[in-house]
Amino acid sequence: MPEFKQRGCEIVGVSVDSKFSHQQWVNQPRNQGGIQGTAYPLLSDIKKTASRDYGVLSESAGISFRGLFIINPEGVIEVEMVNNFPIGRSSDEILRLVDAAQESKKGMVCPMNFAKGKEAINPKDAKSWFSKNAK
Amino acid sequence: MTLVSQKAPDFKLDGVVNGEFKTVSLEEYKGKWLVFFFYPLDFTFV
Repeated sequence: MPEFKQRGCEIVGVSVDSKFSHQQWVNQPRNQGGIQGTAYPLLSDIKKTASRDYGVLSESAGISFRGLFIINPEGVIEVEMVNNFPIGRSSDEILRLVDAAQESKKGMVCPMNFAKGKEAINPKDAKSWFSKNAK
Repeated sequence: MTLVSQKAPDFKLDGVVNGEFKTVSLEEYKGKWLVFFFYPLDFTFV
């Protein structure tokens, strides 16, 4: 995922499967349902500790919901998103959130529909943003 | 309870990186942005 690398952002995936299952899946071609070529780590939360710690374990199903966390360089969680099992995610959606989180570290705030290249709001001079961007 | 604005819970887990078995911890990502995501099961979609 070069778009994440360009932003200095790493990716780590995790499920409650064993590392052996992960290895089989990573080696399986994509046209057979595999994820061959995936370069980021896939971790095995076989004891379900991480899933519990992050609050994304379905205790009834014994597996993790589609939880996603954007963690900043200080180790603090900036974004939390949890989807039910059938609802997949989008890398564009996640990239937008990474962009907004990174922009926020420059002391800016990111209004609705903020995206890379758009102007964020400087909270010390919000009026100028509104005069340029609000209709 | 949301974890937003909280310190991310530590993890140290076995896994697969580029086809090889490896142990990975949150600590290795200090100083970097990280997208840490959970998914239900292998051989489904992410």
